[in-house]
Amino acid sequence: MSVILSVPVLSIITILQSAVISRLPLISGTADLMLVVLAAITLQKSVKTAWQWSIVGGLLTDFFSGLPFGLFTVSYLITTGIAHVLRERVWRFSFLMQLLVVLSGIIITHTISYLVLFLQGSSIQFTSVLQAVTMPSIILSFMLSLPVFIIVQDVIEQLKPPE
Amino acid sequence: MNIRFPKSLRILAISLAAIGILALALSGVFTSLSRLVVSPLTSIQTWVSQQYQGVENFMSASQDIREIRQHNTELEAENARMQAQIVELQQQLIEYEILSALLEFARANPEHKYIGASVIGRDPSPFLNYIIINRGSDDGLKRGMPVVTQNGLAGRIVQVTATGARVSLITDPVTRINVRIEPSRSAAVLSGSITGDITLEQIPQQAEVNPGNLILTSGLGGNYPQNIIIGQVTSVRNLENALFQSASVQPVTDFDDLAIVLVIKNFNPIDITPLLPDADTP
Repeated sequence: MSVILSVPVLSIITILQSAVISRLPLISGTADLMLVVLAAITLQKSVKTAWQWSIVGGLLTDFFSGLPFGLFTVSYLITTGIAHVLRERVWRFSFLMQLLVVLSGIIITHTISYLVLFLQGSSIQFTSVLQAVTMPSIILSFMLSLPVFIIVQDVIEQLKPPE
Repeated sequence: MNIRFPKSLRILAISLAAIGILALALSGVFTSLSRLVVSPLTSIQTWVSQQYQGVENFMSASQDIREIRQHNTELEAENARMQAQIVELQQQLIEYEILSALLEFARANPEHKYIGASVIGRDPSPFLNYIIINRGSDDGLKRGMPVVTQNGLAGRIVQVTATGARVSLITDPVTRINVRIEPSRSAAVLSGSITGDITLEQIPQQAEVNPGNLILTSGLGGNYPQNIIIGQVTSVRNLENALFQSASVQPVTDFDDLAIVLVIKNFNPIDITPLLPDADTP
């Protein structure tokens, strides 16, 4: 998939995340639509530009977020790396791989966010983060994973040039 | 042989015959005869008339059905338009109610100058309780300006772009606001949390704090103007050996349903950082 295509597509995803998904919390957690989309894209074997898509997605989210710039880019790149490893090692991956990548992505993003805020002097309790933010975020992101995975798979199949 | 009668005689004969027939008819002589002739005709006429009525009804009914269907389609389309209009009007009514309440708030606090802004999004990270508004430096907004709703304090601007601004809500974990508890007028510090709950900390032990007490900004620290309502005390925690009391606060603003906010334009936050004692200074 073309990297140029990533800018409009992921811009729409960022706007959806900020305007809609972030307004639908479960306790204090929200689904990470960008992470779910990037995981679904990276897990498609025909996609060769997953790293570039992750960088664009991370930068766009960083522009919208009040967290230190680069936090989401780094988190999404690590998640993409995990997805790449799974893609290469596992012969037949399924939707379960998507869930595994999303789970690891949220844990990575939240761990980095927690550490950064902790170093900035915020007195946030780890147990509160786990119970009120991370667990609900994982549940909501899992709920989004199946429809997103199917849509991404279908769209990439349509875009793939005939052999 | 052809006998020809005079014309007047023929007329007289015909008239007499007609009067005779009429007289016989009136006397009832022809009744049985007419019944015999008319009855089959009436039956045939009835049958023909029924068939004609049936055909006429069928023709008119099929036309009526077409008209009813067309009318029904038009009504359904109109109904859909009306439903959309109702939703739009309900949305406008909600906006009107919010704007009306905001106007009321602005009238009740005439010492400030306000600019209205719509909430267009939230921070993508669940770790930050930030909202994004559709006004920026082009509208004269600056970093540090307080943001209120019709009910009370919402937060303050932490980042401004040309057409938008990011507002840190008072529920954000990094929030620290100097407040005053009414009616005791005790000072305290309000802080947010990751779960969105807000608590009062550093309440002096001797201060009398009870559930239902009002929390207002004190203006200390120079980040917020004075006397903006924040919420009410719901419960007080007073440990025996603790230096300070603490309390839970119910905010007056519903942060889950923020749609329109007011930015206080004529408040300039004071940066007291240079006045704070340096950690390296003995």
